[in-house]
Amino acid sequence: MKYFFYQLKKSPLAIIGIAIIVFWLIAAAVGPSMISYTYTQMDSMNQMVAPGEYGHLLGTDSLGRDILARIVYGSRSILTVALLTSMVSTLLGILLGFSAGYFGGKVDTAFLRTMDILMAIPPLVLSMVILGILGNSSIVSLTIIVSIAFIPATARVSRGVLLTEKSQEYVSAARIRGENHLYIMFVEILPNTTGPIIVEATARFAYSIMMVASLGFLGVGLQPPTPDWGMMVIENKPVIAQAPWTVLFPALAIASLVIAISIFSDFVSKVLIHER
Amino acid sequence: MKRLVEIFLRRLGSLLATLVVMSFIIFLLVEIMPGDVAQMILGQSATEESVAALREARGLNDPLLERYGRWISGVVVGDLGESVYMKGVSINSILWRKVGHSVILAMTAFIIFVPLSIFFGVLAGVKEKKPIDSIISFFGLATMALPEFVSGVILITVFAVQLKWFPIVSVLPIGESIWQNLNIVILPALSITLVMFGYISRMQRSSMISVMNSDYIRAATLKGMPRKYVIFRHALKNAMLPTITIIGMNMGWLFGGLVVVETLFGFPGMGSLLMTGIKTRDVPLIEACVLLITIIYSVSTMITDIMYSYLNPRIRFQGGQK
Repeated sequence: MKYFFYQLKKSPLAIIGIAIIVFWLIAAAVGPSMISYTYTQMDSMNQMVAPGEYGHLLGTDSLGRDILARIVYGSRSILTVALLTSMVSTLLGILLGFSAGYFGGKVDTAFLRTMDILMAIPPLVLSMVILGILGNSSIVSLTIIVSIAFIPATARVSRGVLLTEKSQEYVSAARIRGENHLYIMFVEILPNTTGPIIVEATARFAYSIMMVASLGFLGVGLQPPTPDWGMMVIENKPVIAQAPWTVLFPALAIASLVIAISIFSDFVSKVLIHER
Repeated sequence: MKRLVEIFLRRLGSLLATLVVMSFIIFLLVEIMPGDVAQMILGQSATEESVAALREARGLNDPLLERYGRWISGVVVGDLGESVYMKGVSINSILWRKVGHSVILAMTAFIIFVPLSIFFGVLAGVKEKKPIDSIISFFGLATMALPEFVSGVILITVFAVQLKWFPIVSVLPIGESIWQNLNIVILPALSITLVMFGYISRMQRSSMISVMNSDYIRAATLKGMPRKYVIFRHALKNAMLPTITIIGMNMGWLFGGLVVVETLFGFPGMGSLLMTGIKTRDVPLIEACVLLITIIYSVSTMITDIMYSYLNPRIRFQGGQK
């Protein structure tokens, strides 16, 4: 941890990244109470108002809804879903990947074949088709489907790190002591693999934001009137020539958040890999 | 050579197995979809009897396996069925034209991003820790993280709204072929390029760095070989291997990306066709599109594997270092 802060001091880019992430977290937590508009309130007199005019800091969209309010409310849903997704997919990945790698043999072969099949279809296409078929996505269904689409990736990483630890002496020692399999996997091995798993989880967080935003953009994410950054982009695309800010601001919101998380995860992986 | 044939056959076998299982899963998935196909064809005002009659006539009451058998045997001989939403139109007649458009889009993007990202990756790797490396690396990290539609929106704002060089939407005028309208391909292709650039240039950079630090490169430099010769003849050959793998692995993202980019630009391709299928709940159309994407994706993964084995002499001659 001390080393983490030592490295952080030397990396201004990582500090900026963390600052942006913290900014969005605060915006999601307290932002809505600080804005005088709600995300559905339509200012029918002031449609497509340019940024800064008539008290709309970032302007309004084609229905006269305040863009700042929609972005701030939208940060809640995207952060919630992305955080849940990265946690669920990492945990399920550990569970599956560890079991496969630990027991080996037929279990492992079955695991690898199943993952091959799941990987035969691009994750975005998979989740888009399932969500589209089910219709009416909620935070829960979005989290479950995207996590499933991510499992091949997370489970393979977990299996990989378990395999490097499995042959260590402390594992055989635990086995000779007569500990049960679950204890060995999760109490003995897991603490030794936190480094790579944290790296994978932070990278997964960035992927989740990308994925959730793309699904919202395709119209199979959270349904209106819930504001969603991706959906805001496609909703206002037809008026991009007259009112580019209606599309540009939600796009920049996504961009800033995803880039900040990527910088952060890049930094974390550098620190943790150096430490080992 | 014998070794390569063996790899090829084994991969082909597992590809076929995957496709069989996958086609069944796709079929199951679309079948559990809420809503009744017969009801959808006849519309909300249809009487119960006519819906039941149509269900019977179309064989929708048959057991699941029988229906799967009928569908897949049609697919094998190239009959993808009829669209439900566009009544009576065979899927073959709409799908392949759009697939052609998507292929042109993907190829255009491919031709732009592969040389570009390899070049900048090599440049960053050779100039490790110099300012040019930092700029390329940061640019790669940033564009890689952006979803295609975000970079697409930025491209539209700059090149279509401000500079008016390209159209804002990529619609094809009725009756014209895509070859007469190549300007609608450029912006979508660039949006894909930006995302791929990050992945590939970063991979190329790190493999270049590790190769440049190896003993044989040091030896070549020390014996007085020109630096250009060392980089392009000695280092690049080995540093390309991981890059090829990453290009192949990212074909999946490319196809996911195609759906997003085509939706953003309204590009008449396979991705926007799939999107239409989902929105109109057109079961045979969804099945056909997803199956096709799976096939293209699996085949490209297979080609990557084979190319990797071919380019890596360790695998080609000894059968890998397992």
